[in-house]
Amino acid sequence: MIRPRVRIVGGVCAGLAQNTGLPVALVRSIIVMLSAAGGAGVALYAWLWATTPTADGSIPHRRAGQILQPPAPGVEASPGSLGDAAVGSSSPERSAWTRLPITEILLGFALLSIGFALFARGIGIDVSLAVVVPLVVVSAGVGLSWRQFGSAAQGGSNSFIRGLGALILVALGILLFFVTIENLNVWTVVMAAFAVLLGVAVVVAPWLVRLNRDLLDERAARVRDIERAEIASHLHDSVLQSLALIQQKSDVHSDVARIARAQERELREWLFGRDKNFATGANSSSSRKTGASNTDAYNTNIADQIRRIAIAIEADHAARFDVVVVGASPDGGYETLVAAARESMLNAARHAGGTVSVFLEAGPKLIEISVVDRGSGFDLDDIPEDRQGVRESILGRMDRAGGTARISRGPGGVGTEIRLQQPLHPSTKTEERNPS
Amino acid sequence: MTLNSDALTVIIVDDHSIFRSGLRAELDSDLEVVAEAPNVDDAIALITELKPRVVLLDVHLPGGRGGGGAEVLTRSAPSCPATVFLALSVSDAAEDVVRVIRAGARGYITKSTSGAEVSQAVRRVADGDAVFSPKLAGFVLDAFGAAAGETAQIQDELDRLSAREQEVMRLIARGYSYKEAAAELFISVKTVETHVSAVLRKLQFSSRHELTAWALERKIL
Repeated sequence: MIRPRVRIVGGVCAGLAQNTGLPVALVRSIIVMLSAAGGAGVALYAWLWATTPTADGSIPHRRAGQILQPPAPGVEASPGSLGDAAVGSSSPERSAWTRLPITEILLGFALLSIGFALFARGIGIDVSLAVVVPLVVVSAGVGLSWRQFGSAAQGGSNSFIRGLGALILVALGILLFFVTIENLNVWTVVMAAFAVLLGVAVVVAPWLVRLNRDLLDERAARVRDIERAEIASHLHDSVLQSLALIQQKSDVHSDVARIARAQERELREWLFGRDKNFATGANSSSSRKTGASNTDAYNTNIADQIRRIAIAIEADHAARFDVVVVGASPDGGYETLVAAARESMLNAARHAGGTVSVFLEAGPKLIEISVVDRGSGFDLDDIPEDRQGVRESILGRMDRAGGTARISRGPGGVGTEIRLQQPLHPSTKTEERNPS
Repeated sequence: MTLNSDALTVIIVDDHSIFRSGLRAELDSDLEVVAEAPNVDDAIALITELKPRVVLLDVHLPGGRGGGGAEVLTRSAPSCPATVFLALSVSDAAEDVVRVIRAGARGYITKSTSGAEVSQAVRRVADGDAVFSPKLAGFVLDAFGAAAGETAQIQDELDRLSAREQEVMRLIARGYSYKEAAAELFISVKTVETHVSAVLRKLQFSSRHELTAWALERKIL
């Protein structure tokens, strides 16, 4: 039976007429007559309204959460408020379990009980309300909870509260049933307790089943994730290998080597990229987002700044930087030191090329950066007075910032070694260490 | 110098065949590559059978119980005490480095190292010395709190580096070779090697808890 979309009240009579082949007017008359007879018609109408789907049967996303208020005839319910989400026509991914129209059957049962009770009263048969009322309450509670827990996966705290309400309803109904019985004794109390437990179990069962299924799904998803990560790590390993090989086989000055180097750095940063808050032990996957937000030079870790400078210079010059960082370098500040280091690195890349070692050590009192190249080296005294590059941008700069710069022959008298030292300002040191 | 240094036997363990053949071609002629192994099980079988002088060991390897290079080390080292292991990896992750060093590797170099440098490193570990890349030296300084100013008061202290060891490590981290570091510090190369070996021993046996913590939290880059 299907209710048409064009309807007067709920479309129940029209649907019923269509289904049975009787004229609509006759069906309506019967319903009205039944309603007059103790309200049974109203109950029947309400039940059919609740349980039958609408013609197009869609709007599956709207759950019939409003079922708590059975729609009184005469009040035009919003389309899809009840029957639209009828479980029978629900989406196929729902399990057969929840597809059974248990909610509808139970609610219908509750409404029918009311109807028949009213009808029986109307024709003079005495029906004990002590039996009917708890029965109705229990049916409504179980039905409601069934629906609630069925959709609990999508629901928030709201569905939990409603589920709790349904639970209380069930317990209350069962208790009511026993309490209203005349001759109370030990056995009825025991039975009542047992019945309440059973009722709760029935209500909670679907929720538990769903919870368990969700748990299994989640576990499966996690296993898949781990598998994917393993494959990815193997792949990355292979790519890193290839890039290393390309660099080995090609001349340092060639474009191929430069590209391979840049690619390797990029991949490496992505793979082993460190968090600014490395003390939290954040894994490498989450570090990417901080890498993206590190555009603000003032808040960027000095070590990261140096690394970025190395990448930038490598892109333009035939040089390879080996950056080694020791200690927890401060986040931000020390622009002078970084600028001087950049100048030193640029100098090494431009004039010496090849492999340049950059070493940054952040001690408790001092930050030191050394840039060592293996080029032909230079003597400061040989540089003409008018060439201000080194003298101004490295030595003068560090001097003004309260640090020191020393330029000397590199290891073993080959190349150049530039050592920059900058005392930590005590205020920023404690603040920017960022221990959390 | 060992007696058979003119024919140093080497096994290359790496799961990438391109890398194996590339490295084989690049190694100096006095190093004799007796075998190559692509996974943990083959590596253990070959090492225990051939007992090479040096094993060039990749950190990430398939097979076995999933322990990679460290597993090869722990499972094959007891049966051939004369063999030394040199870890060779693209991974800069500190936990990889620490794991394989703790398992008994005599050094750790990255795969971007040139063939000549690898050959030199092989000879060095065969002579009983340790091989530290600048990155590993930097990590050691970090892990032993040298950057924070911690210094061992007695030479044998396992959890901190002596002042001299720190100096040597700093120079290596700066890109100095052993010889250059020796010249800088006015000591002999042999003394530098002794210091490096001492540091390696500390890295292997120290119970310093930061070592593991660092390894998990930080990556050498």
